[in-house]
Amino acid sequence: MDRRRASGQGRGPALKLLRHPAVHWLLALVVGGVFVYASLSKIADPQAFAKIVYHYQVIGPSASLGFVPANLVAVALPWVELIAGILLITGLWRREAAVVSAVMLAVFVAAVASTMIRGIDIQNCGCFALDASGRAAGWKLIAGDLALLAAALVVAVVPPRAPEAAADASPATAT
Amino acid sequence: MPLRPGRIALIAALGLACGLTWNTWSGRGIALGANAFLREGAEEIDASEARARFDRGALFLDARPVANYEMSHIPRAAPLPEDDFDRHFMAVEPRLRSSFDAVVYCAGYGCEASHKVADRLKARGIHVAILNEGWPAWTDAGHPVKEGAQP
Repeated sequence: MDRRRASGQGRGPALKLLRHPAVHWLLALVVGGVFVYASLSKIADPQAFAKIVYHYQVIGPSASLGFVPANLVAVALPWVELIAGILLITGLWRREAAVVSAVMLAVFVAAVASTMIRGIDIQNCGCFALDASGRAAGWKLIAGDLALLAAALVVAVVPPRAPEAAADASPATAT
Repeated sequence: MPLRPGRIALIAALGLACGLTWNTWSGRGIALGANAFLREGAEEIDASEARARFDRGALFLDARPVANYEMSHIPRAAPLPEDDFDRHFMAVEPRLRSSFDAVVYCAGYGCEASHKVADRLKARGIHVAILNEGWPAWTDAGHPVKEGAQP
């Protein structure tokens, strides 16, 4: 508690804002909402999602590991997204859920970047809609994922100060 | 509140457990050890098996767009693009009906065209094998290719 209080004092207004509980709540709501929304179409159609996972050519038919890792990702990832999203929205285990979200987003960014480097054209990134209306993988997607990643990291790493605490927060009210 | 790594592991484990449960009981699940492209009853072969069938005169079908076919294709293959199926099917149907050894391929890896073509042929009572990983598997193995629009 003391360490956190010390680290938050005397910093610029940006950090002050990031430590505001309302900002935390808002960021968690946005990231959680995106994850819950993203999980639903994949949970509804694991087969379509598995095919999209193959397209990335990291795991799946083109890799030596066979189908099991890719199919496991297709089956489990949407549920991790859903659970992390619900936790972020409700505020239960918020920091841990934010860490899980941040790890997933970092993996997504790495996967999309690797397809771009390898010249693999992915028409549907498998982010939200799994049919032809889905968005393609590319720079825009990486930018969006990085923005969400930043938001998740704030929730995970930056401790919020207590709502009633003004400039000189008392340690007793810190959460 | 301090970060608890145990909870992070629990979120991941819970997601995996829910996913496996849903996969087993929802009726929408997939076989974990099989290609999700593969429908029940579909036959997948690798490049060496395809070569063996090629050597004994099997009919090859190119499910890629015609532009790809015209650039290069497996020798003697007939174009049967998934995106212009009906027109090309009429041309190739007599040969397909008389051949009991046909192999369909598409652009490779994540490509779905050969599976769609195989499905449509199946609906017309024709069985074809699917070349696993398609065109790149064939060319990577160093098997012959032919350039131009002629089969």
